[in-house]
Amino acid sequence: MREKKYQAEQRRLTVTRLRHKLRKFERVPMAGEAVPSGFAAIDAGLSPHHGLLRGGVHEVCAAKTGDFASAAGFGAHLAAQFADDKAVVSGQTRQSVGEHGRPYALALPTVGLVRHQLIHINGADLPDLLWATQEALSCPAVGCVVLMSLEQAPDFTASRRLSMACRAVGRPLVLVLGAEAGQAATAATTRWQIAAAPHNSWQVRLQRVRGSLERPPPMAGWQGFPWREALTISEPISDATIADVTPPATAPVHAAPAYGS
Amino acid sequence: MPQSTPEEPPKEPVLSALEAIPTGRRIAAIWFPYWLSEIVMPAEKRDAPFVLAEHQRGTQRLAAVNIAAEACGLYPDMALADARALVPDMHIEMLDPARGPAALDKCARWLRRYTPWVGADTHPASHGLMLDISGCAHLFGGERRMLDDMCARFNRRGITCCIAVADTIGSAWALAHYGPDNIIIAPSGHGADAVMDLPPDALRLPAEACDLCRRLGLDSIAALAAFPRASLTRRFGPYPVMRLEQALGQAGEMLNPCVPAPEFIVRENLAQGVTQLDVIAALTQNMCTALATKLFAAGQGAARLDLVLTRADNEMQALSVRLAAPSAEAEHLARLLATRLERVSRGLDTGCGVETLCLAASVTAEISTPQAPLTLGHRALKTPPVAALAGLFDRLAGRLGTQVVVRPVVHASHIPEHAVSYQPVHAHPLSHEADGEALSAGAAPEPQTRPLFMLCAPEPIEVIAEIPEGAPYRFRWRRVLHEVARAQGPERISPQWWPSARQHNSLTRDYFRVEDRNGCRFWIYRDGLYGRETGRPRWFMHGVFP
Repeated sequence: MREKKYQAEQRRLTVTRLRHKLRKFERVPMAGEAVPSGFAAIDAGLSPHHGLLRGGVHEVCAAKTGDFASAAGFGAHLAAQFADDKAVVSGQTRQSVGEHGRPYALALPTVGLVRHQLIHINGADLPDLLWATQEALSCPAVGCVVLMSLEQAPDFTASRRLSMACRAVGRPLVLVLGAEAGQAATAATTRWQIAAAPHNSWQVRLQRVRGSLERPPPMAGWQGFPWREALTISEPISDATIADVTPPATAPVHAAPAYGS
Repeated sequence: MPQSTPEEPPKEPVLSALEAIPTGRRIAAIWFPYWLSEIVMPAEKRDAPFVLAEHQRGTQRLAAVNIAAEACGLYPDMALADARALVPDMHIEMLDPARGPAALDKCARWLRRYTPWVGADTHPASHGLMLDISGCAHLFGGERRMLDDMCARFNRRGITCCIAVADTIGSAWALAHYGPDNIIIAPSGHGADAVMDLPPDALRLPAEACDLCRRLGLDSIAALAAFPRASLTRRFGPYPVMRLEQALGQAGEMLNPCVPAPEFIVRENLAQGVTQLDVIAALTQNMCTALATKLFAAGQGAARLDLVLTRADNEMQALSVRLAAPSAEAEHLARLLATRLERVSRGLDTGCGVETLCLAASVTAEISTPQAPLTLGHRALKTPPVAALAGLFDRLAGRLGTQVVVRPVVHASHIPEHAVSYQPVHAHPLSHEADGEALSAGAAPEPQTRPLFMLCAPEPIEVIAEIPEGAPYRFRWRRVLHEVARAQGPERISPQWWPSARQHNSLTRDYFRVEDRNGCRFWIYRDGLYGRETGRPRWFMHGVFP
């Protein structure tokens, strides 16, 4: 009797171990690895765990030239979701600093970041920034890395290297790219396109999800997110309002697993 | 062992009772008699009369003169009007009181090329430095050559100096200030004899003691020293007697170095000059291990590392690394140095080969884990792993430079661009208290009223507004026309009235948050109130909302 019980226990253990191994090969995120994006409508269409993969590169591109600030805002919002009170290292290329200036610390709460979290790399060349990104990703005190580049995107090799680094350490990189830079081939896990929309909202398009079974990926069309605080209302929109946002009826929302080989 | 030069044969001691005790210590005193004027004076005007003036007791008096002016009969503390009457065509400048001491400090640092132990001259009225050159002179071919080299280097810069070497601080000082020559070397063990003929003023006595000596007819140190000490003390007090004994080597005197010598230092002398950078890098790694062991044993961490490479031709090249938090981890230190070496490799000239490597932890601090605050504002933050972050800062700053790795710091100001500044993480280590206070002191604006990106400087825009005080109707920024769909404002920000009149040239700003037809949002302002402060107010773009 005892013998039988022992054998059953052994079998169970073996199965669990194999399951873990398989998951590693298939790169399916564990329950704890997926992070909610903060928008219920987006989360509903993502992965089995309704969230974004922590160990991956998430590319946020501006749709048009003037949308870089919106893209950066969305990227910063994702970073705040990922960071979970740990430090956020943000890097900015020189041209980006010249074009848009630097993040203004007093406005950081609007995207969910606390000022003390932010460590900024103020104007460097892209190769230096990529090096700094890898350094920052390997630091256990860093929750998320944000890289803002207006004119130049990391090439495919660099992108692939970054995404491998992210997967190895289980920390995310949010890559915010300008409209011109966002056209290059990429090895990113997800790729978003952001456009500013009237009435204080964003237009969000999820262009691709790496390893997704569906073609096109969920949310391939533009969706509006009235996340931004209304211009004519001085009250900020609370988190509760964000959660209540329902996607337009036309939006394809899939509950099927998005991550798989 | 210190060397004594054979120029002056040792004489028989004058007074056997006062025989100086040989200490083996050799002190060089340098006196710059025209320091204040010579550091200011341009080199080409060296031969013309030049004076520095200062306001003193309601009149202008001379603070310092140069040699040419002294030859004309000018002297410090003379009234400027009298000096003008004597020498009408002299060059006059006002004295900058901070400049003399600063230059002297710099000079002390430079003099460390001769000896690591450079101290200040404690006499208030003289500009000079004291060097402990025990065991250093032979590196320069003896004391005479060392002093000649020093003197030549100073003279080349147009600076007059008097240098004397003796066994004690007191006698070296006396010989430098009152000796017969510019360079004087008192033989080792007989420093007391050399000062015997000098006036009592050479003992660094206060003015009233000097006066008393003169009135008593004591015109030399020998005469003073001949008296029994007890009666001297009764008449002069204990201080002059102490100075006398210090000069004669009968009482000890400390020389405090201006620049403290680093405690944690590792030196590597190579048998042969090395030119390859990778060899230097590999040697540095080993030295880091040795240094880290030393530091760890003392419970200290390095906050700054200095690596000095000395080439075979005696040229030195230095590089330094600053750390965000003290560390005694060999791997971390080695990695930082390797990065820095890689960065400077182009500028590093190993020339005929590096012979000596010297790695010093010039700034150290006790390794401790600071306590982080439990709550920050409304949101509780977990204690960050401080050491991991500090390590990251060091690595980033090592490659990118300390000025590039920054963190936002909030100041108590309501002018938007002054309210936040980015400070290097090394200058503002992981403490949150200070700017937390600044934020609560200055009323923080609602975050959603501020743009996520603020331009480095406000950019002028062309604006068409319906009414002068109102929000714009359309505007042109960077050659793109934006039609305003919605606008909110104004938020009026007045200039600070409390700075001095010189800085007070800014106008009241009216900020508007505007959204164009595409949905892009901007933060723009009108500079100046229409009709009250300016007739044609200008508009500026200041930031972009997400």
